[in-house]
Amino acid sequence: MGEFKVHRVRFFDYMPSAIRAMVFNRKTERLALARADGSLEIFCFADHYFQEKVIPGRDGRAVEALCWVGERLFSAGLNGEITEYDLENLRPRYTVEAYGGPIWTISSNIQGTLLAVGCEDGTVKIFEVLEDRIQFQRNLDRQKGRIISLSWHPDSTQIAAGMMDMIRIFDAETGHATHRLLVERGVGASKSKEVVVWSITFLSDHTIISGDSAGKVQIWDGFTGTLVRSHLVTKWDVLALSVSHDESSLIAGTSEGTVIQFQFLSPTVNQEDKEWIRTRTFKNHSHDVRALAHTDTAVVSGGMDTQLVVRPLLDKVEKNTQESALRKIAFPHRNLVCCAKKAGLLLFQYPEHLEVWRVGESDVHGKPGDRLPVKRKPEKLIQLKSKGEDHICCSALSPCGGWLAYSTASGVRLYRLQYNNISITKVSRLPKELRWAHQLCFSSDSSKLFASTSNSSVVVAALNQLECKYLHTLRPKSGSRQPVHLLFASEDGKWLATANTDCEVHVYNLHKLKLHCTVPVYSSCPTALAINPATSNLVVVHADQQIFEYSLVQKEYTEWSRKLQKQGLHFLWLERDTPITNIAFNPQNSAHIILHDMFMFCIIDQSLPLPGAKTLLYNQMTLKSLPEKERIQHSHAFKICKNFQNLLCVCLLEDHSLVVVERPLLDIMSQLPAPVRQKKFAT
Amino acid sequence: MAKKQRGKTVSSSKTAKTEAQTKHFSLEVESSDDEAPEEVTFEDSKSEALRSMKQALDRARREKELLKEKRRKRQELFQEQKKRKLLPVDVLEEIDSTPSKKQKQSEDEEEEEEQQKGEEKPTKKKKSGKKAHSRNLKGNYTVMTVKDQTLKTCQQRAAEDFIQSRLYGPGSCRTTNNEMLSLQNKKGANKSAAVQFVNKDWACKEKAKAEKQKKRWVHKQQVSSS
Repeated sequence: MGEFKVHRVRFFDYMPSAIRAMVFNRKTERLALARADGSLEIFCFADHYFQEKVIPGRDGRAVEALCWVGERLFSAGLNGEITEYDLENLRPRYTVEAYGGPIWTISSNIQGTLLAVGCEDGTVKIFEVLEDRIQFQRNLDRQKGRIISLSWHPDSTQIAAGMMDMIRIFDAETGHATHRLLVERGVGASKSKEVVVWSITFLSDHTIISGDSAGKVQIWDGFTGTLVRSHLVTKWDVLALSVSHDESSLIAGTSEGTVIQFQFLSPTVNQEDKEWIRTRTFKNHSHDVRALAHTDTAVVSGGMDTQLVVRPLLDKVEKNTQESALRKIAFPHRNLVCCAKKAGLLLFQYPEHLEVWRVGESDVHGKPGDRLPVKRKPEKLIQLKSKGEDHICCSALSPCGGWLAYSTASGVRLYRLQYNNISITKVSRLPKELRWAHQLCFSSDSSKLFASTSNSSVVVAALNQLECKYLHTLRPKSGSRQPVHLLFASEDGKWLATANTDCEVHVYNLHKLKLHCTVPVYSSCPTALAINPATSNLVVVHADQQIFEYSLVQKEYTEWSRKLQKQGLHFLWLERDTPITNIAFNPQNSAHIILHDMFMFCIIDQSLPLPGAKTLLYNQMTLKSLPEKERIQHSHAFKICKNFQNLLCVCLLEDHSLVVVERPLLDIMSQLPAPVRQKKFAT
Repeated sequence: MAKKQRGKTVSSSKTAKTEAQTKHFSLEVESSDDEAPEEVTFEDSKSEALRSMKQALDRARREKELLKEKRRKRQELFQEQKKRKLLPVDVLEEIDSTPSKKQKQSEDEEEEEEQQKGEEKPTKKKKSGKKAHSRNLKGNYTVMTVKDQTLKTCQQRAAEDFIQSRLYGPGSCRTTNNEMLSLQNKKGANKSAAVQFVNKDWACKEKAKAEKQKKRWVHKQQVSSS
C-alpha cells in the first residue's frame, strides 16, 4: 500500500450553516434545502441522496421558506422578497418585493397557479405564477399580527394561516377570514407569552393540524373551527410539521431534536373511524429540528445541528437493505479544499472568505504510526475576504500556488500571489466571458484557467504575468443546459474532463481545443473524476459508488474497469453512504488510485486481484497479523484506512506526502447554538 | 520721580501705570506711619523704581501674549469645527451622484406599486402631495428619505430578534453544548475525555504571560548553551 508522511490538517474550521427550510418535490424526487446563510442545496433522492446543486448564499437573504411549483423553486425570506431560482445557472432568476415586511412563509396551491405568502404586517398576499415571472394578484383580509405559517387546502378554496395565539381560515376566492381558531397558551410561566403557531397543514378532509410554541400538536375541525384533539409532545416548541402525500402520516419536529410521527389509524381493530395517533419518536438530532419533509418512504429532517437526516420508515421499505439504513449528510458533496501540489499550499473555502495555508514541515523520519516533531509549524499565509454581498461559490489555487481564483454569483476574481514576501495583486480586466463560474480549475503548469459557465460550457483563459486572456469556449455536443460540477485538467496539459449534473462526462483535447470524446452516460451522477497522468485513463466515481476507468486513447473502458464491472464491487463498498469526493494518483506507482469519502480513504491497487464477495474488505488489521508470505495471498486491491475521520480532503503532494484535512463532527457540534436542557436520570 | 516715570511709561499700558503708582503710594504710607523716614539714596530709589517698572512691563507683555495665544487657539478651534461640520469629500461626491439613482429606484417602486394595485392616479397624487415642499428644487430631483431602506433592514432585524428571543430568550431552558456533550459522554458506553476541558478564554493574561516567560526561558537556554 505504500508508506506516506501524513500532514494531519485540523486547522480548517469549516462550519456548516443551520438548516432552515426544506421542501421535497415528489415528481422529480428532489429535495430543496435552505440554510441560515441563505444558501440553497438540491439533493437528488433518486440518485443516492447526492447533493447535485448548491446555490451560494448572500448576506441578508435570510431564506425562511421554500416552495416548489412544478420544477420551479421559489423562496421567501425575512428580507421581504420572493425569489425564483435559476436551477441551471445556480443563481436567483429574479426577486419580487412583497411590500409586507418580512415574509415568514410561502405556499403554493396544488395546481401550481397561485403562491400565497404570509407577511409580518398581517397580510396574506396572493401572487399569480406566470410563465416567466410572478405577479401580485391581491391581498386577503389583513389581520392583526404576523402570519407565521400557511397551508392551502388541496382544492385551493381555503387557506389556513397560523398566527400569534390563533389560526385563521381564509376563503381564497373572496379573501375574507371565515374562522378564527384560538390556540391555547402554554401553562405556567409561559402563560403570559403569546403562543406562536410555527407550522400548519390543511388536509383534504378539512382537518387542520397545527404545531405551536407551547409544544402542542393540535388537530382541528376545519368546518366548525373546533379543537378535536391536542397532543402535548414537548416542553419546548414544535417547530415544523410535514404530512405524507397520502395524508396517512404526519411528522412534527421539536426543539428537543426529536421527530414525532402521528398516523391516521383506527384505535381499535375492526373499526372504521380513524384518528390521529402518536406512533413513533425519532431522535436523530442534538439540536432543534427546524425543517421537515415527509417523502413516501422516509422522514427527512434538518435543523440547527446542520445535518440532513434521512430516516426511512421501516413499514415502507424492505428491512435490512441499504434502503432502510439511516443516512446523515453532514459534509457537502464537493470540495471546499484545494491543494497546490507543487507548493505544498492549501486553499480553504469559507462562505465569505478564503484562506491559504502552508503545511508544516518535519525533517525527521520515524516508524509507521509515529508522530513526527514539527520543524516548521503550519502557517496561515493569506486570508482573503470576498467582495460584495454574494458568498463564494467556487475557488481554485493553481498547482504552483501563484494564482488564486474565486467566483461568486456576481463575478470571477483572479489574484496573483507571491510568497517570498507575501503579496497579493488582483488581476484587473478579466475577459468578459469570465463573468461567473460554477467551477474553476487551473492547468497543471498554471498557464491556463478553466471556468465552467452556462450550458455546460467551459471557458479557457490563458494566464501570463499579470494578464488573463480569453482563448476559447468549449461546448459539449449534447446541448445540455445543466451546470458542470466537476472539472479536471490532466497533468500533461492535454486533456480536460468535465462532468455535469445530467451525468454526462466530456473530455476535451486542449491542444486542438475541441471535444475529444464523451464517456457513455451512466445513470448515476459523477461525484469525482481524475485522469491518471501515467496512463491517460480517466477514472470516474459515481454517486452509487461505482468506479469506472476509461481509456482516453482507445476511447473505451479499460480492461480493469470491465473486470471490475463483471465481478462487481464488494457489498460493503457499495453500502458506504458518503460519496467519494476526490481522486488522486500516486506518481511513484501508476497503479495506485487514492480515493476518499467522509469516513475513510482508500488506495486501490490495480495490480492486485479484486476482492470477492466473501473476502474481508477491511482487511488491513488481519494482514498485519499475518506473516509476510501469507499476506500476498490475502491482500486485494482495496486498501482502506480509517485512521482519520470526517475527512474533507485527502491529496498527495509532490514530495510524496499525504495531506489529510480533517474536521471532526464533534468540533462542529461544540460550536453550535445552545441546545435545550434536558434532565436525565442519575446525572 | 513720578514725572520721570510717567514720561518713560507712555508706551506701557495703563494698568501697569496705576499698579506702579499704588505700590509706590502704599510704600509711602507704611513708612510714614511708624518711624522716622528711612534714608534712601537717590540711586537706590531710582533703581528700585526702574525694577518695578520693568516688572510691570514684563507682566503686561506676558498678559498680552497670553491673550493672543488664547485668541489664536479659539480661532483654530472654530476652524476645526467648521471643517468637522463639512462632510468628507467622498461623501459629498456620493451625494452628488446619488439623486439620480434614488430617483430611478423610487420610480421603479412606483411602477411596482402601480403594477400591484392597479391604481395609477391615486398613488401619483399622493406622492405629488408629499412633494409640495420640495417644489423649489432645481432640476429633475426628488427628495426621498433614507428611512425606507433602513426600515427594511430594521424590520428584518426585528423579525430575526423575534425568532432568537422565542428560541433562545429567557425561559427557553437552554444549556450549553459542552454540558450536553459531557452528559452524553457520561451516559455513553465508552467514556472518553471531555470535549472541552476549560473555557479557552479563561486566564488570557496569565497564559500570554506564561508564553512570554517560556520564550524568554528558551532563549536564555539557547544563549547559555551556545
